[in-house]
Amino acid sequence: MPENTQTTATSSTGSIRRSSTRAPRKKKKNMIPFGVGLLVIIVLIGFLLGQKNATVGLFWIFGISFGFVLQKARFCFTASMRDPYLTGGTSLTRAVIIAFALTTIGFTAIKYGAYVKGLPIPGMSYVVPVSAATVIGAFLFGIGMVIAGGCASGTLMRNGEGFMMQWLVLVFFITGSLWGAHDFGWWKEVFISNGPSVFLPDVFGWFGALALQLLVLLGLFVFATKYEQKKSA
Amino acid sequence: MAKEIVIDSLGEACPVPLVKAQNAIKEMEIGDVLIVQIDHSCAMKNLPEWARKDGHNVEVEEVDDGEWEVIIEKAK
Repeated sequence: MPENTQTTATSSTGSIRRSSTRAPRKKKKNMIPFGVGLLVIIVLIGFLLGQKNATVGLFWIFGISFGFVLQKARFCFTASMRDPYLTGGTSLTRAVIIAFALTTIGFTAIKYGAYVKGLPIPGMSYVVPVSAATVIGAFLFGIGMVIAGGCASGTLMRNGEGFMMQWLVLVFFITGSLWGAHDFGWWKEVFISNGPSVFLPDVFGWFGALALQLLVLLGLFVFATKYEQKKSA
Repeated sequence: MAKEIVIDSLGEACPVPLVKAQNAIKEMEIGDVLIVQIDHSCAMKNLPEWARKDGHNVEVEEVDDGEWEVIIEKAK
C-alpha cells in the first residue's frame, strides 16, 4: 500500500457512504467578471495583431479556440493511445479517429480545390519521406508523452490550466524542440531522406486516396469499438 | 466493517492516479470505499470511465477549482 493512503471507518453520508472529514469548502469566487474581462482583452489583442498582420491575428484566434475546445472537451491524444491498454475504454480513441476522418475530408477539399484551379497545392512540404525513422520517432514520442502526462497540445493546454508539474514539462519541451531543430539538417540528410515520400492521390487518384483513408479509419473505428466491448465483457 | 481508503494524487499527472487506484482497489473488499484526490483534468475523465466499466459505483466531486475527489465504491 502506498504510504500516502490512510484507512478509517465508514459512516453514512451521501449516496456512497464515506467518513473522511473533508476540508471545509472554500466559497467560490464568481468567475464571470474575469471571463468577460479576459474576452475583452483577447478581442483587443486580436484586433491589434490583425492590424499589424492579418495572418497573425488569425493564428491568435485559432490558437485560443483550439485550446478552449481541447480544455473543455478534456481531449487528450495521449489518453487516446494509452487508455485502451490501461482502462479498456476507447471513447477518446474513437474521438481521435473521427477527428482524423473530418480533417481528411477538409484537407482533401482544400488540396483538390487548388489542384482543380491549377494552383500550387498547399501544404505539400508536409509530404515527407517515410522510413524506419518515422517508426522509431513515433515510439520515442509515445514513451515521452506518457511519462510527461501529455502530448504537445495536451501539455500546452494543461500549462494554461495551471497544472504546475507540466510547467516543467514545457521547459524541456522547448529545450528538446530547439535541440531537434538545431540538428534537424543532419538527421534529415543521414536518416530521413532515405525513405520514399508518398502522396496518396498520386498513387490512387484523388477519390481513391480519400476513399482508402476513410475506409482505413472506419476499420480502426470498428476495431476500437469491438476492442472495448471485448475488454469490458 | 467497510473500510475507506484515501489516495492523495494531487500534483500527479495522468496516468499515475489511475494506476494507483487500480492497484488499491485490487486489495479492497466489496463495499469498501476508495477516494482519489486529483487535480489533473485528464484523470478526471479516465478514472471514472475505468471504474464504471469495471462495475463499481462512482461519484465525482469538484472540491475546489480544478481539484476533484473521485469516490469509488467497490461493487465486485
